[in-house]
Amino acid sequence: MEYAQAVPLKYAIDPDECIYLQKGKCGNCKDVCPADAIDYEQKEIKKTLNVGSIILSSGFTPFDPSKFDNYQYAMYPNVVTSMEFERILSASGPTHGHVLTRPKSSKKKDAENVKAPKKIAWLQCVGSRDMNRCDNAHCSSVCCMYAIKEAVIAKEHVGDDLDCTIFFMDMRTHGKDFERYYDAAREKHGIRFERSRIHTITEVPGTNDLSVRYANEKGELRNEVFDMIVLSIGLESSKQNIALANKLGLDLTPQNFCKTSTFEPVATSREGIFVCGAFQGPKDIPQSVVDASAAADAAGAILAQARNTLTRSPEVVPETNVIGERPRIGVFVCRCGSNIAGIVDVVAVAEYASKLPYVEFSTDNLYACSQDTQDNMVQLIKEKNLNRIVVAACTPKTHEPLFQETLLNSGLNKYLFEMANIRNHDSWVHKNNPELATNKAKDLVRSAVSKVALAAPLAEAELEVNQTAMVIGGGISGITTAKSLAMQGFHTHLIERSGQLGGQALNLYHTASNEDVQEKLSAMIQDIEQNKKITIHLNTELSSVEGFVGNFKTTLSSKRKKKVLEHGVAVIATGAVPFQPNEYCFGQDSRIITSLDLDKKFMDNDPILQDLVNAVFIQCVGSREPDHPYCSRVCCTHSVHNALELKKRNPKMNVYILYRDIRTYGEREILYKEARAAGVIFIRYSVNQKPGVVLSDGKILVTATDHVLDRPVEIEADLLTLASSIIPYKDEKLAKFFKVPMNDDGFFVERHAKLGPSEFATAGVFLCGLAHYPKPIDESIAQGQAAASRSVTLLSQKTIHTSGTVAKVNPAICSSCGVCLSICPYSAPSFLDAKARMFRGKAQINPVLCKGCGLCVASCRSGALHLQGFDNDQIFSQIFALSEAG
Amino acid sequence: MSDWEPKIVSFLCNWCSYGAADLTGVSRMQYPPNIRIVRIPCTGRMSPKFALAALREGADAVWVSG
Amino acid sequence: MPKNIIGSVLVVGGGIAGMQSALDLANSGYYVYLLEKSPSIGGIMSQLDKTFPTNDCAM
Repeated sequence: MEYAQAVPLKYAIDPDECIYLQKGKCGNCKDVCPADAIDYEQKEIKKTLNVGSIILSSGFTPFDPSKFDNYQYAMYPNVVTSMEFERILSASGPTHGHVLTRPKSSKKKDAENVKAPKKIAWLQCVGSRDMNRCDNAHCSSVCCMYAIKEAVIAKEHVGDDLDCTIFFMDMRTHGKDFERYYDAAREKHGIRFERSRIHTITEVPGTNDLSVRYANEKGELRNEVFDMIVLSIGLESSKQNIALANKLGLDLTPQNFCKTSTFEPVATSREGIFVCGAFQGPKDIPQSVVDASAAADAAGAILAQARNTLTRSPEVVPETNVIGERPRIGVFVCRCGSNIAGIVDVVAVAEYASKLPYVEFSTDNLYACSQDTQDNMVQLIKEKNLNRIVVAACTPKTHEPLFQETLLNSGLNKYLFEMANIRNHDSWVHKNNPELATNKAKDLVRSAVSKVALAAPLAEAELEVNQTAMVIGGGISGITTAKSLAMQGFHTHLIERSGQLGGQALNLYHTASNEDVQEKLSAMIQDIEQNKKITIHLNTELSSVEGFVGNFKTTLSSKRKKKVLEHGVAVIATGAVPFQPNEYCFGQDSRIITSLDLDKKFMDNDPILQDLVNAVFIQCVGSREPDHPYCSRVCCTHSVHNALELKKRNPKMNVYILYRDIRTYGEREILYKEARAAGVIFIRYSVNQKPGVVLSDGKILVTATDHVLDRPVEIEADLLTLASSIIPYKDEKLAKFFKVPMNDDGFFVERHAKLGPSEFATAGVFLCGLAHYPKPIDESIAQGQAAASRSVTLLSQKTIHTSGTVAKVNPAICSSCGVCLSICPYSAPSFLDAKARMFRGKAQINPVLCKGCGLCVASCRSGALHLQGFDNDQIFSQIFALSEAG
Repeated sequence: MSDWEPKIVSFLCNWCSYGAADLTGVSRMQYPPNIRIVRIPCTGRMSPKFALAALREGADAVWVSG
Repeated sequence: MPKNIIGSVLVVGGGIAGMQSALDLANSGYYVYLLEKSPSIGGIMSQLDKTFPTNDCAM
């Protein structure tokens, strides 16, 4: 078994290490296993599967740095890899989350020398961007961010005085909210960033401390000693991946990742086989999740006719009737590794809970959410005949559904459940006050117990799902979503505010891998125009949205005409716009242009491009600045590619790129390498010392400080391209229509930064393209497919269930005053009509429309309305419970 | 009076302030542990009776946010 | 259109990407075979402590 939270949580024998299997001796495990589960006779079985499609998600392998003799990873105990450091930080890791240096050997003397480190360094690009010591020319995309994260978390574990330094070449924080994380690491957490690639690590004689020698940005040579050095190892394709690709006859890139194209980002070179995750190229979790859904969509599109032919229905555990039973409450207190148990005395809380009224059983768990605890919980519910459950752990906003599932599996109605938030609202926010935090945890548990004692099983309303989809935005991601949904068999309406489909892609010349954007785009547009399952609405905007998941009713307005559209899901693909620069003399000279203007010149074959002597690019125009504190992700690759295009057209041209960090992540790094080889000159500037641009005597004079020579340089530019940022529409109206949030920058906020990148927390509403965050075409298309895939998981169900937390009327005491009808924002209450058999004219609630806000309940003057799950007696009991002394 | 600590009962809307309190935890911001949170589905659910009950039961302050 | 379309998909690799693909497909009405070489699913992500930029627990 690999770790305590493994799924499935079963032990397995490693045949290479097992003495019995290797030498025929031992057999201890068979003797001691009470379940008689040990079987030495199991052999490899070959099975043949007939499937309609294959998805390869075989991931990456972390780079092995032991071949680098200059870092002595294999020899020095305190040189560790970033993967090992993740385990050191983890509460379920070898040191239980305590950051400690490592002993040289298991001898007692060495073990005693273990200490809490005071200085840790991270070395970036180990096994990435390196053709000298290994063959990995690519950037691994994720190491900059994980190194910052490890440094921040290490400081959290060890304390603020831990000295963390990250040695890097370019800091690549190009993802959503990454730049802010980087800023906070530098400014708030005090992490030091040194732009330098460390050549050699040596051990300080007589100790296991590590010494490095490096030249800092000013060119000064420094010697520094660290207690521990973390090698930020890169991602590469495993040998098995390469063998698998060869066996299947798939093309690989020169970096041994699976080859795909910009316009079909998850399709391999073989029909019917798709790829996702890091086998397609080094990428982070959200991008892997996007790709994964995209691959599911691509496979679904070719198999749509066979949908539901091979699936089986899961067994439903029959619900136990608990009505009328005395409450028998089970309390599970989660340690959350050290997140809770590090501050709150969980054993004392569990012990305390066991003495509360109606509590039949209480315990503490390492991770309440892990599979083993879940199985155990089902067992305990049945064994102890529990009929109400309290979990004291993190927040119900993320984990309530998981535990409710556990209740269902044990035959309990899922509303017989309550959570006490002793992590987010307690251990995390009172870390200097363990005693008071423990008291607070007891109070919260008592409050939850008193509430759950009054909980009743609730029924959920069933509603039909309208099988039509609406996609808002006819750019490249919206087009992709519409096409995917149509291919999966669902009628789709594509809404575009302008008179033309294509969005920002209409302004682009070539992709980074040299595909002609206009040619591909017009083929895509033609494709969907001919698709009978797609209705395109041009020059159309939304004027109102009603309804909810499965049953939306949207009013479209076009040239003063209004039309109502009924649909089951909505996809927001409204895109973004290029920023118009307000510096570097933009607008004062026709030779000072934006990146998109340059693409236009390429498309028009503008003769001016032939005769340029000096072409200059300035990066980060409007990005990573106080007004737009995020990285626009695409501009570095765009400029590097355009620089190469200029060089191709006229190799004699001098091309300069003025940049802050070059962020050609993943295999885009190869372009950066090519550009340097082609003689493109890269000059770095810092945000405090931005390049100067002056117009003088008809000349464009660009000044910058050369970071290698540390001297000012002046370039007379014949063409100055400003890599301007991508800014969102900040469409507040749309956000309000679908009740979806926007971040401070104006990009929409997805359900979960890692695990739900293409959907909203609002059920039935999905997200893709630039409206989510700046991204290149391949990622926009993948997310367009992902949004379709996520939509299909809803559309392919005929019916869905609403929440049981809805209002209910006791008609016997309703006075028919009508306050609930007038106050409800969702039109859920109505009067029973005059022909009703009973309670004519009394109020009733439509549970499908009811959102469970409780406004009507609080306003009801007769006390006839109840909010199930949050009823008066339950909230009062919580208030009373909180006032009791702990 | 210097040792006196107030007891605060707060009613937070599940969709905004409760989530904000979660985020406060995720961001590891620190605040005094005098506050006890009751999750309500919406501040629309808030009844004056809840505030009065909390005060009557010994709370020094009631905070409703949503 | 080929006649005998098989309504099942083989997903090779049970890391975060493979799991997401498998879930999407299973919830869309396709039978999924999820292949994993190690004894448990979760891949590299399950070995991580926290995830950036929210510092959420990776488990």
